[in-house]
Amino acid sequence: MAQLISIDPVTRIEGHLRIDVEVENGAVKDAWSSGTMFRGIEMLLKEKHPWDAQQVVERICGVCPLVHGTAASYNLDDALGVNLPDNARIIRNLCLGANFIQSHILHFYHLAALDYVDVAAVAQYSGSNPTLQALKGKVAGLVKMGDVYPFLPRYESDDYVSDPELATVLVSHYVQALEMRKKAQEMLSIFYGRMPSFVGTVPGGVTVQPTVSNIAAFRARLSELRAWIDSVYIQDILTVAGVAAYAPFLSAGDSGGNYLAYGGFDQDSQGKEKFLPRGVITDGDVMNVKPFDEAKITESVKYSWYKEDCEGLNPKEGKTDPDLEKEGAYSFLKAPRYDGKPMEVGPLARMLVMKPPMLMDLATKLGLLKALKFGILPRHAARAVECKILADEMDKWLDELKVGEPIWDSKAKDIPNEAYGRGLVEGPRGALGHWIHIQNKVIGNYQCVVPTTWNAAPRDKNGERGPIETALLGLPVPDPENPINVVRCVRSFDPCLACAIHVIHPEHNGVKEFRVV
Amino acid sequence: MVESKGVTRRQFLKYAGATAALLGLSETLIPEIARALEEAVAGKPPVIWIQGQNCTGCSISFLNTNYPMVAEIVLDKLSVRYQPNVMAAAGEVAQKAIEDTAKEMNGKYVLVVEGPVPTKEEGRFCTFGLEEKTISFNGFQRREDKPMIAWMEELVPGAAAVIALGNCASFGGIPAANASVTGTTPVHEIVKDIAKDKPVINIGGCPPHPDWFVGTVLDYLINKRVPELDEHNRPKVFFGRLIHENCERRASFDAGLFLEDWNDNNPDMKLCLFKLGCKGPVTYADCPTRRWNSGVNWCVGANAPCHGCAEPTFYKNLSPLYEPLPEVHFAGLTPMVDTLGWIGAAATAAGIGAHYLYKQLGKKESEGGES
Repeated sequence: MAQLISIDPVTRIEGHLRIDVEVENGAVKDAWSSGTMFRGIEMLLKEKHPWDAQQVVERICGVCPLVHGTAASYNLDDALGVNLPDNARIIRNLCLGANFIQSHILHFYHLAALDYVDVAAVAQYSGSNPTLQALKGKVAGLVKMGDVYPFLPRYESDDYVSDPELATVLVSHYVQALEMRKKAQEMLSIFYGRMPSFVGTVPGGVTVQPTVSNIAAFRARLSELRAWIDSVYIQDILTVAGVAAYAPFLSAGDSGGNYLAYGGFDQDSQGKEKFLPRGVITDGDVMNVKPFDEAKITESVKYSWYKEDCEGLNPKEGKTDPDLEKEGAYSFLKAPRYDGKPMEVGPLARMLVMKPPMLMDLATKLGLLKALKFGILPRHAARAVECKILADEMDKWLDELKVGEPIWDSKAKDIPNEAYGRGLVEGPRGALGHWIHIQNKVIGNYQCVVPTTWNAAPRDKNGERGPIETALLGLPVPDPENPINVVRCVRSFDPCLACAIHVIHPEHNGVKEFRVV
Repeated sequence: MVESKGVTRRQFLKYAGATAALLGLSETLIPEIARALEEAVAGKPPVIWIQGQNCTGCSISFLNTNYPMVAEIVLDKLSVRYQPNVMAAAGEVAQKAIEDTAKEMNGKYVLVVEGPVPTKEEGRFCTFGLEEKTISFNGFQRREDKPMIAWMEELVPGAAAVIALGNCASFGGIPAANASVTGTTPVHEIVKDIAKDKPVINIGGCPPHPDWFVGTVLDYLINKRVPELDEHNRPKVFFGRLIHENCERRASFDAGLFLEDWNDNNPDMKLCLFKLGCKGPVTYADCPTRRWNSGVNWCVGANAPCHGCAEPTFYKNLSPLYEPLPEVHFAGLTPMVDTLGWIGAAATAAGIGAHYLYKQLGKKESEGGES
């Protein structure tokens, strides 16, 4: 007999997400993804000085401010006709890269790993490694006190990694990873001042000139991170992917075979060549990457708490008019579609478009290329592979910085009466687009289409599910009290809801129109 | 007690030393802090950390803490019953953790609120967890979303203290710009309506520096009371001084040396950011001396103006961010704040060992120096 399981809050993500699954015969039969928080940041930017944009939009999200600030900078550069100096492009790439590293490490260890590792097993560690012994002492102490918050309680499951030796090593890496992600933030703040909410990128370029000493300070931290990614992060991914009980998650959690990447990390001033390439994959045909066409993006609001006249528009013309009484609606997220299809974005999409040898070797080894289904574990693996190849590449970019060369184009100071801009980038969680319309020298319209809006979208006007909703179908839920596989799947997308629900269309939403009646 | 948790005496003293450094106190206080902390950790205070119209930047900033490190705080110092980004539990298991704590620890838990609270449309612009009541949904009975405001009504009365973390929770911040639609309300206003005398500590900043939050929590653990606050209910120890007065580039300001083009080929010349819109002259925070991300840098250190993110007026009333402050805000501020800022901060430094502080204050005054 079918039953509905509601999971709210979905924790260890960014923001407010509710997941409902219909479970029948121990498996997910249907699923609904609901974003449950709305701020409407859009009001803030209208009639403001265009230079304020990147400082405001980076506050859409505290987990991925870097990508919003970067997209805003490119957006403004475009609108202001800036000729971006190479040093500025490279420093922006380095800082965005540092945030990818921070975000990917944080995601696997601090947001996802507790779904796989039994922290309590550490108390049973019997090895002689002094560091792990100390960790055992700490966990055993907590267990004895009966207070293992925030690691217990949790969903119970019999497939956690509970071998004391292995669990202790993984939990020690969880602790190490706290320091590693912090180091990535420090690396970023060398050029950008601080994290989160950084200040080092402005329209026209960046604010810190490369010097021998700041390049060295960046490289020292990068080297340490690269070594750790190789020897710990990649190895832990392989370890978890190799656990026999998790074999079904190689293909389970597949989102339907549609992938979109805007591409990121410009390698020339025109942005023609990108380190992470741009492209579209449809219907699981991963060997056939198609060119991307911005005009094919539309947003559906049939199941979103917005008025019907917001339906089916390209984001450039879109509207965001809340309607909490709307029949059938269940989310503050809209449903963006590309050529009418739901699209998964993020590391898996990017790696499938890019096909780096390391990922393809892994996919071949795990038998993924036969079934052409990429589920929960490939999503984690793609994130780790991306983290590694990006960190390695960043070391080369450091060599390309030229001490004493320009970092800023002063043309950015001349605000035209009217101009349009666009910034398409990749963030840790996927494809991000910002658009601006400058009118009378101030912001007339500013809008973003954000990664998690693609991934966590509700159904569209044709009733077709969003990528996370599709990915949940068929997942085993043997115990309705402990739907661990549901959250494993949702977390593999690294959702960020603050980003997803903010959508910005001030042009259509003056205060009067916006008021909810 | 300390040894039983796998921490040596030596480690503990080292940690107490870090705490002294965090709060800007003399090393002579280390034994005293160690004693107070030892007592404090005998019973880890329960924490319920909920999120309203937030962006999680405050939580991410908290993860950047160094002294003590985040694992120590979360495991050794506090009993973090609910923190949505860190906790293992989800769904009903997570919700039950809040409900059990509220029941079993009534009057004892610290309520940390990140992000403000929307009040319009019965609070439906921000929900988490489930209500008992159900509505029909695709042929099922689906439990309704529980609004943030309902959680506040449930959790504020039993809280020992409420910490509003970050500018949004403290003052409305970014989401308040849209208050006409969602009814965004700062935490202290919500609390006032629920339990009039409940103490609320505002930790401003977008984001708040991890030390501002961790230092406040440690202070609370040691002294079992709310630290001395300024007129915006911020701990004076962190928000008592004007950025402009402590800025490493103050000499450039006085000499009229201003940065106007980022290509000026003088990476070692620390030019003043005033003409690029620096809000340091109207912003109270200890960023110039504390710095960010393990002391690596801070906004002005990156040749970028302070945007005033720790001020209640951020962002709306400080825009345009890259235009110089109008003279009217600026004139006459300097000497007065210089004196008051220093005395206010020192005399209230977390209230630990007041007589030591007075001694220090006397010493500092006779030297006429900076802290």
